[in-house]
Amino acid sequence: MSGESPVHEPVVFDARTLPVNDNVNPYAFSVDLDGRWFLQKGKMIAYYGQIDFHGIGHGPLDHLIAASFHSPLHAADWVVAEGKGRLLLADRAFDVNSFDLDDGNLTVRSGNLLAFEPSLSLKQSIVPGFLTLIGTGKFIAASNGEVHFMEPPVRVDPQALVGWADCPSPCHHYDHAYLQGVLGGIRAMTGLGGASGEEHQFDFVGQGTVLIQSTEMLLAERNAGAVPDQAGVPGPG
Amino acid sequence: MARFRLEGSKVLAVTLAGGGDVVKAKNGAMVAYDGEMTFKKLTGGGDGLRGMVTRRLTGEQMEVMQVKGQGTCFFADRASDISLVRLNGEKLHVEASNLLCTEGGLRTGTTFTGLRGASQGNGLFTTTVEGTGLAAVLSDGPAVLLRVSSGMPLQVDPGAYVAHQGDLRQSFQSGVNFRTVLGEGSGESFQVRFEGEGVVYVQPSERNTLGGDL
Repeated sequence: MSGESPVHEPVVFDARTLPVNDNVNPYAFSVDLDGRWFLQKGKMIAYYGQIDFHGIGHGPLDHLIAASFHSPLHAADWVVAEGKGRLLLADRAFDVNSFDLDDGNLTVRSGNLLAFEPSLSLKQSIVPGFLTLIGTGKFIAASNGEVHFMEPPVRVDPQALVGWADCPSPCHHYDHAYLQGVLGGIRAMTGLGGASGEEHQFDFVGQGTVLIQSTEMLLAERNAGAVPDQAGVPGPG
Repeated sequence: MARFRLEGSKVLAVTLAGGGDVVKAKNGAMVAYDGEMTFKKLTGGGDGLRGMVTRRLTGEQMEVMQVKGQGTCFFADRASDISLVRLNGEKLHVEASNLLCTEGGLRTGTTFTGLRGASQGNGLFTTTVEGTGLAAVLSDGPAVLLRVSSGMPLQVDPGAYVAHQGDLRQSFQSGVNFRTVLGEGSGESFQVRFEGEGVVYVQPSERNTLGGDL
């Protein structure tokens, strides 16, 4: 017998008690689905109710792709969940958070975006490997460790960057003084004399919000789609 | 008698009183102990000869050790989260790899699960735990407990399934259609549908499954 063992009664959820469009715990998110949502492939862990999952391709969902994707190029990684019920989403036990956009824009690393409402539209960012959401609605993103919000001007480590909202100026920044002169050159080339690994950052200025994760471990990148190979388009090749 | 206590969410502390006080634990899951402990590897999951043969045949092999002694023994496995499940005579179904520790009074066995196992790449069988006492179940990220009752069936991704208890029927649900064949699959083509009365444990993460990419 183990009657005196201190075991807390665990919380058991059902279709009525699962949170409505909120986190169940830091790692799982419950969507109250009535209509359609876009999910990244393989992020559904369980659901109650009647929900169908459609791969995106040609056919009846064409108009939806036209409205929400504007480009079929990266559509293959996405699924449309359609129906009514509660849908649980999670990603490799990473932290998941929902964010609301109100007639705004947010650019996020492709591997971090889990799901979004069709009222938002998803586009490829000019910055390779990033996706941009535009419009009004809710989306869900994963991060390794919790997300922190920073106000520009701020410089962030490339690996810690999750995304940014409303800032038009993501650019590279190098610690010039540290890399100056002959000694600096040797340091930069060989790491001798102590490279801190922090000589390069992303620089944000202006009005907006920058999202960073509390680790420098990257989530695997998702194919954000190829861009047309033409002059003036960053990224191709 | 054995007392189970969670140290945080990823370490299980089991206090043993000595004498005939034993627990069964996943082989190699001990991270520390104080007092006097002996660890004995149990052949074939500790279910006896018949169980050993069954486990061999079904592929639901389980490396189990018997822990005996006086003191506190700490168990953990790859920083997985641990849920304690109290059993009062009912049966718990759990994947062998997700079972961390069971009280001495609990019996373990194997049972046929049907196609769910096949899609999970975990074989067609699952491990059962029966009796009265506590069992510790592992999950990648804290497990979410979902109740199934009449009129409220639950669909679970095979890769996120960890365990279930209660009077549940499971069936395999497939959304494979011509689009899957064309390479426009949804990645969510296979689900396990649970009906009846009971609780299902799911983890906020997916194992790689055979059906996962379809």
